[in-house]
Amino acid sequence: MHGVCLSVGSTDPVDFEFLDKLRALAKRVKAVWLGDHICWTGVAGLNGHDLYPVPYTEEGLRHMVSRVRIIQDYLERPLVLENPSTYLTFASSSMPEEEFIARLAVEANCALLLDVNNVYVTCRNHDLDPVAYLDAIPYEHVVQVHLAGHTDNGTHCIDTHDGRVIDEVWQLYARVHEKTGGRATLLEWDANVPKFSVLQQEVGKAARFRNGVRISRRVAA
Amino acid sequence: MSLRDTPRLETLERWMQAVVMHPAGAAHGVASRPARRLVPAAARELESVVLPSKSLSSIERLGIYAHMYYARLLEILGEEYPTTRQILGDKVFKGACRRFLERNPSKHRTLNRLSERFPDFLSRHLPPGSRRGLAVDVARIERAMEDVFDAPQAEPLTAAGFAAIGADEWHRVRLRVIPALRMFRLRYPVNDYMNAARGAGGPRMPRPRASCAIVYRLGYRVYRRDQTPEQFKLLSALAAGRTLAEAVRSSVSGRGGTAEKLAATLGAWFREWAAAGLFCGIERGGAGRRRR
Repeated sequence: MHGVCLSVGSTDPVDFEFLDKLRALAKRVKAVWLGDHICWTGVAGLNGHDLYPVPYTEEGLRHMVSRVRIIQDYLERPLVLENPSTYLTFASSSMPEEEFIARLAVEANCALLLDVNNVYVTCRNHDLDPVAYLDAIPYEHVVQVHLAGHTDNGTHCIDTHDGRVIDEVWQLYARVHEKTGGRATLLEWDANVPKFSVLQQEVGKAARFRNGVRISRRVAA
Repeated sequence: MSLRDTPRLETLERWMQAVVMHPAGAAHGVASRPARRLVPAAARELESVVLPSKSLSSIERLGIYAHMYYARLLEILGEEYPTTRQILGDKVFKGACRRFLERNPSKHRTLNRLSERFPDFLSRHLPPGSRRGLAVDVARIERAMEDVFDAPQAEPLTAAGFAAIGADEWHRVRLRVIPALRMFRLRYPVNDYMNAARGAGGPRMPRPRASCAIVYRLGYRVYRRDQTPEQFKLLSALAAGRTLAEAVRSSVSGRGGTAEKLAATLGAWFREWAAAGLFCGIERGGAGRRRR
């Protein structure tokens, strides 16, 4: 199971009524993993239905670690948290995103879902090096990998899940595969969904990258 | 901004939310009173709270989230109310949606509940005119289609279940309707209009004509269909917890025709409702009104 509304980073009280429903659903569908994002979606009782970034501060980390522990205990299973695409940086952040994620995984003892496209988008938006980002991830915590397409607006990228995975992301994916030794991979393509054969081709491309075969532009087109 | 002035996590989240949910955009959000009260420094020097990137200023970066907030919710309302939008036209519909969102920000984790109060909002805030009545009626049906999709599942009563009710039991038997059923008395022939709206070109504005409609879910599909006034009255009485005998008496008393003809009509209605899976249980209690 994977969601977008757990709002782990929110400073509103933990919603145990919602966790009850989530736990019941996870049990019913025999969920192997229960995942969400490293973000908050609303505060003061409101919901913005977006993945808002947390400031990467010691206070933010303590808050997230504490919330993840509470939620994991209540759900009786480890959470799998995904790095989101982000579009702004708080000036108060005192550590890079990848360090925040690594410390969160270790200190809360939760699993990670590494979205390679989100790494690319975030690094483009914040003028960061995606390879350095990936090298800081504690791969023993990574249980799943996501791939997706995005929209490049020139000045910034938006995670839109509406197209093919770009070459740069494939290269990062190959690097992640080397680091993990192989993890389940999900291709996210949920807007402008193409013919099944195109999706199949993209999934096949992921398999070939995992097998160490670089795909030429001619074959991938 | 000094370390002493660095906003706490809770303050920063409340500030960002106030900025990105501001109806006039991020710049107005930063300058708004709630945002200034939370993080005064941001109004003076935004870069001390949100860093610029090489390509975008701090306000442009906040603007990405502000734009996405309204764009996403407007898109959802457009998808949930396609026929209402067609009736009102894009400009009036989008204006109404924006005003609705400004006054009714989402308070639920699921987007399916975002527009629960939208039909009521339209009825109170659309300018008077020939299209308001139809638009509100259609919006009520389109909202109900969202409601029943998420309503709890209940196993529908089978034909054999109905057959097991003896004629001597009618005075004490009550039928339980499924949670995924909504019933409407409307001022316009909405169901016909919505069917016609699915075709090319769009239908003509209908004249006001009272109609009764039900919206329900069977399995994973949502249906809407018209009911005759008598059918609707009987179904309403059953849904309100009347016994079969009371419900039939209150809805078809005074109807002409022979007892055989009445029995045939009732039989046809119940077969239709059973096929639609509208009932999910039989209660064999006393003759008194069920507590609800």
